[in-house]
Amino acid sequence: MIWAKEETLSRNEIEKIQLERLKATVKRVYEKVPLYREKMDKANIKPSDIKSLDDLKKLPFTYKQDLRDTYPFGMFTVPQKELVRVHASSGTTGKPTVVGYTKNDLKTWTELVSRLAVAGGASDEDIAQICFGYGMFTGALGLHYGLENIGATVLPTSTGNTQKQILYMKDFGTTLLVATPSYALHIAEVALSMGIDPKTDLNVKIGLFGSEGMTESMREEVYKLWGKDFLCTQNYGMSELIGPGVSGECPELCGMHINEDHFIAEVIDPQTGEVLPAGEKGELVVTCLTKEALPLIRYRTKDITRLMYEPCKCGRTTARMENISGRADDMLKIRGVNVFPSQIEEVLLQIEEIGPHYEIIVDRKNHLDTMEIKVELIDDSLLESYSALENLEKKIRGNLKTVLGLASTIKLVAPKTLPRFEGKAKRVTDLRKL
Amino acid sequence: MSIMLNQLSVLVENKIGSLSKVTHILSENNINIRAIASFDSPEFTIMRMLVDDEQKAKDMLLKAGFMARLSEVLAVEIKDEPGSLDNILDIIASENLCLDYIYSFVYRDGKPPLMIIHVDDMDKAKKLLASHNIKVAD
Repeated sequence: MIWAKEETLSRNEIEKIQLERLKATVKRVYEKVPLYREKMDKANIKPSDIKSLDDLKKLPFTYKQDLRDTYPFGMFTVPQKELVRVHASSGTTGKPTVVGYTKNDLKTWTELVSRLAVAGGASDEDIAQICFGYGMFTGALGLHYGLENIGATVLPTSTGNTQKQILYMKDFGTTLLVATPSYALHIAEVALSMGIDPKTDLNVKIGLFGSEGMTESMREEVYKLWGKDFLCTQNYGMSELIGPGVSGECPELCGMHINEDHFIAEVIDPQTGEVLPAGEKGELVVTCLTKEALPLIRYRTKDITRLMYEPCKCGRTTARMENISGRADDMLKIRGVNVFPSQIEEVLLQIEEIGPHYEIIVDRKNHLDTMEIKVELIDDSLLESYSALENLEKKIRGNLKTVLGLASTIKLVAPKTLPRFEGKAKRVTDLRKL
Repeated sequence: MSIMLNQLSVLVENKIGSLSKVTHILSENNINIRAIASFDSPEFTIMRMLVDDEQKAKDMLLKAGFMARLSEVLAVEIKDEPGSLDNILDIIASENLCLDYIYSFVYRDGKPPLMIIHVDDMDKAKKLLASHNIKVAD
């Protein structure tokens, strides 16, 4: 099922809509937001200079820091009277990032979430349990309105009290789960410990996952616990742009369809800022085309992905973005090769003899970058022979070399000796003095 | 006749003082080490020991965050004279058994020295040595 006709437009039609909306948005931010006027004046560009989509790259970037500098409402283009909702990001460091919505913005948001929900298999038949925290966070309310809009029955159970969540799931016959992929895994584990097998004792057939990235190995875990025919898609968004609703996967699972009539996506080299050709990996930069209260221009998401423009088997023609493979901030340059800790994690997770925790130490010896990765042994049968340990080390090194194209050294350590993190994990130590 | 002993293997990093951390835990728990083997290696090594209370030793080491495992090894009694080890190794090799490691257990209150060995097929080794009348310690 495809929710909106805008998801199947030809490239020409999409670009025509994008250009028209881009011109209007740039004009508006130039007139209404002092920071944008200042940035554009400095870059010596006027709204009238935007004549084609290609001119987008002339516009300056917007950073999260800009929102902090103008905290709380400095980048809004409408007076407070026109705002009907305000959300804020948690802000793990410093002040929260504040975003606002007009009545139309909420309508747009609801529409966009409806699209991704339908793409993810949802319909008015579904009983949707939303296990995202309700509150200033955009995830829960975004999915809530979108799912109601398509006619699903919404259970706003929020987060926490997993046993209660499972009780609702079982007794109300929940068919669709909105959660982070890791919470979905947790729910399944708790259910099993209660003697409830999610595969056979629950009716949940669809997962709309978001708010954190889902790697393919996590998806495999989901299938193991929830069953092979569980349709689990992920969607992407961030409060600065609108919340969930920027893009989402369809059942083909070949990237997240971007709502291109509302956003323009670019991928840039995070170090030079240069726009990269389609298919190349870099930082995602998004321009809002229809937001009224907070239309950000060329917003640096810091998320690493690549864009694909070939039409999808599902019938949608919108560009797709690959699963997020890291954060631009986390990117390491080792002997000239871009390395994301997430790539290393993906390799390590596939090796059964070691645990999920790791530490990466980058150093420079004799003018050459070195990368050491510490991993915890969990399979004690390796203590039977030294060669088993050596073979394991070789295997890890080999797999990393295949994925990264880089040599590394592996240090096997005893279980539970690497640091554990409650919040954001700090797994990389860069000792190079650059 | 051979007997199997329960050997304790511990993963230790190649760092100053790392072996002593293990022996310290054993000493604190009043566990006596009867034999020990550990060799030089670049990153980490496996410290192998025979102790008087291997289950307690393992539990204490696990509790302290070490990776430890119990596994069976053969304790073979040898005569303190030239050629006796050669004889045992010859028997093992003649049957195509792969010797993983070997270390000795010397001080035994006047009893003959023991060799601690681990091969790829322990049951076969046990029968084989017995059939050659190799005395195994008790």
